[in-house]
Amino acid sequence: MNREVFSVLGIFDSAQQLMDAIPAVKGKVPGKLEAYTPYPIHGIDKALELRKSPIAGMVLVMGFIGAISAMVFELWTEAVDYPMMTAGKPFWSWEAFVPIMFEAMVLFACFTGGLGMLFLLNRLPMFRHPMLSSRSMPLVTRDKFALAVETEGQRVDVDGISRLLQSVGARSIEVVEQMPATGPASPQFLFRFTVGVMVACLAAGYLTYWVIKLYPRAIPMVHMLDQPRLDPQREDSFFRDGAGMRMPAAGTVARGYMPYLIQSENEADLLPNPLPRTEEVLKKGRLTFNTYCSVCHGILGDGKPTLTAAYGAKPANLVSESIRDYADGRLYHVITMGKNAMTSYAADVGREERWTVVHYVRVLQRALNARDEDIPEEARK
Amino acid sequence: MNSRTVSMPGQILPESLRTPPITAGPVSLAELDEQVLSPVERKPPKAWFFAFAFTSAVMLLGMGLIGYTIATGIGVWGNNIPVAWGFDIINFVFWVGIGHAGTLISAILLLFRARWRNAISRSAEALTIFAIMCATLFPLIHVGRPWLAFWLFPYPNQRGIWPNFRSPLMWDVFAVNTYFAVSLLFWYLGLVPDFASLRERTQSKIRKFFYAILSAGWRGSASHWHHYEKAYLVIAGLATGLVLSVHSVVSFDFAVSLVPGWHMTIFPPYFVAGAIFAGFAMVVIVLVVVRTTMRLENLITLYHLEVMNKIILTCACLMGYSYLMEAWTAWYSMNSYIHHTFRQYVAGTYWWAGWTTITCNIVIPQLLWVRRLRRSYPAMIFVAVAVTVGMWFERFVIIVSSLHQDFLPSAWHIYKPTLVDCGILLGTFGLFFTLVLLFARVLPVIASTEMKSVLPGMQPRREGGTHE
Repeated sequence: MNREVFSVLGIFDSAQQLMDAIPAVKGKVPGKLEAYTPYPIHGIDKALELRKSPIAGMVLVMGFIGAISAMVFELWTEAVDYPMMTAGKPFWSWEAFVPIMFEAMVLFACFTGGLGMLFLLNRLPMFRHPMLSSRSMPLVTRDKFALAVETEGQRVDVDGISRLLQSVGARSIEVVEQMPATGPASPQFLFRFTVGVMVACLAAGYLTYWVIKLYPRAIPMVHMLDQPRLDPQREDSFFRDGAGMRMPAAGTVARGYMPYLIQSENEADLLPNPLPRTEEVLKKGRLTFNTYCSVCHGILGDGKPTLTAAYGAKPANLVSESIRDYADGRLYHVITMGKNAMTSYAADVGREERWTVVHYVRVLQRALNARDEDIPEEARK
Repeated sequence: MNSRTVSMPGQILPESLRTPPITAGPVSLAELDEQVLSPVERKPPKAWFFAFAFTSAVMLLGMGLIGYTIATGIGVWGNNIPVAWGFDIINFVFWVGIGHAGTLISAILLLFRARWRNAISRSAEALTIFAIMCATLFPLIHVGRPWLAFWLFPYPNQRGIWPNFRSPLMWDVFAVNTYFAVSLLFWYLGLVPDFASLRERTQSKIRKFFYAILSAGWRGSASHWHHYEKAYLVIAGLATGLVLSVHSVVSFDFAVSLVPGWHMTIFPPYFVAGAIFAGFAMVVIVLVVVRTTMRLENLITLYHLEVMNKIILTCACLMGYSYLMEAWTAWYSMNSYIHHTFRQYVAGTYWWAGWTTITCNIVIPQLLWVRRLRRSYPAMIFVAVAVTVGMWFERFVIIVSSLHQDFLPSAWHIYKPTLVDCGILLGTFGLFFTLVLLFARVLPVIASTEMKSVLPGMQPRREGGTHE
């Protein structure tokens, strides 16, 4: 009698009987020969002519990928993207990256082996396989062994196959119909369940957000924001006047403060430069000039190739004839009080430093307007 | 060739040298399933509930104190400079070490084809997972603001910086997390066929639903087993390297620094041996309880316990060698700081910790040379508890005794743990045993499928001998 069935199962009592039956059935039945056993039976893969498991190759490749990507990532982060010097080691000290490379290799390889075996090679999870609804399933997961002739829906001679299986020692026969098993739950239920969980998560997150927003007393993580201290420029109820900062006592003078009484540039012309023209002073002047002045006036003081010039401002040319004629005091006054668009530098550059800058500006003026006599005798030829 | 003589070399060996059978008395496949899988379906006995109530109360105490620590700050602990690492890191190293026995049994012994591992591998792997869970708690709460612990992972962030991969502490993050993930995967893979058996056994619809999901529709076909066995073997091989690397990396936390007493090349192997030592002691304690209360004496036999006790004895000797080697290295270094630290170990403020370590780890396990004591419950429990205590104190000596007197005498400081420290340590024991109790009721404590494949006569005869 020919029928469309999924498979015909012959149930055996021991692994030995199953193994003995396989060669007797092989080649005499349509479809594919498969066995269902409660535990792995050694040698059955050869008897059933299963293809060699590609798991080792998969694991090897993914292990390499894990190792290489971890090493490349570590080198990129620690030596290229954010070079970080640790313990005086060079940036490309790959030795320190080996432990994590090894762990990444094992992680990639193990998950490839485990999940690749389950999901990729064995095509699990599969809840609707016809075998799962068979009467023999409880037996073959306990202590019985099934040899299955899997035709997967072809029209086959069921009785003939059953007789053949019985003749090689099968204790009983089960015909598994083509109908798929119902699985643990209907796909609709699983879909609704998943969507329900996701909606519940979103709702819980949204609710938590608003609860924390509306009842800030219950802030779970203050991140050290709550610090009992008086902030400058802020209100505070600690003092009667409601301000966090205190006024200094009347007549307080800051350390090192000297009143600057010069009112005009003409008055300033009379100020003498108190510093001698030593190499030390000039070096200090160069440092200060390069730090504060060169930004606008240029590294040579000529006001040209600077950022402000690029934006259309016109910083003074310090080596021009008019400024060369300035007295030292007038230069000092301009630095102290500012001029035109230039702001006062009194707060940034100290009193003595300003005088060193004046000396250094003189050096620049002389250097850019050098006369023949300035060149040493022996170099002039 | 006569296959019998080839397959059973035991027949020409004297009785005392033959491998004993892995079960006491014959066990059929159906009996095995009944014995191993049915406790999962039954209501637990009263004693279980009492034990569970006790351990979970202890666990809640620990969790409460962890909550108190997080809310207040880790100032409630005894740590203070120069002893910046106190109970937290001692407990971390202690628990990570306990986990190592499980992977050794499930992975390394699988590669060695030690058949006695099959009865105990499931519970040993479970202990691994629970121990890592206890261990990871400590670095997490030690960072002070555990909700920011994700900063340890390299993710692109608006700060534009990356974690320092040259730091052993970062290696630790990766090693322990990988170890946990791989142990969980390995455990789950072993459980899949057992879930399928449970799915087919159970009468309850709700249980069937969960077992069906957990077993992923496993149907035990030969082609599935074919890939399964290969994958299991490959992962075991990788896990072997992993388990050796994890405690080595933990030891790098110490060995890579310059603290006298820490900066030693013997640390990685010494730590790995200690980890396996402590882990086996814990496995023995748990298995003695499991086999008597769950009536599994015929599957987890005295032979199993004896073999494990032999491994404990071996590890005790390795530890003794390590301690001597450490002391010798210290002397040979001709470095007065290291000399000082080693004098502190045995004759300093914490001299009692040093001598507890030596007594519990090296002297007491020597009892196991006697066969009668290897097979006696009181003796093996005594040794296992001593080893657990000793291994905890070993980490105390390494961390506290080395740190409390460092290079700068003006910074010397006597470390005293607070009650919060002790409560959290106790709480992790509560967590660990709560998880063990849950495991014993919810999952089969013996890998029934694995056991089936090694029972006598279960593999077909082949040319050249049986394939057992």
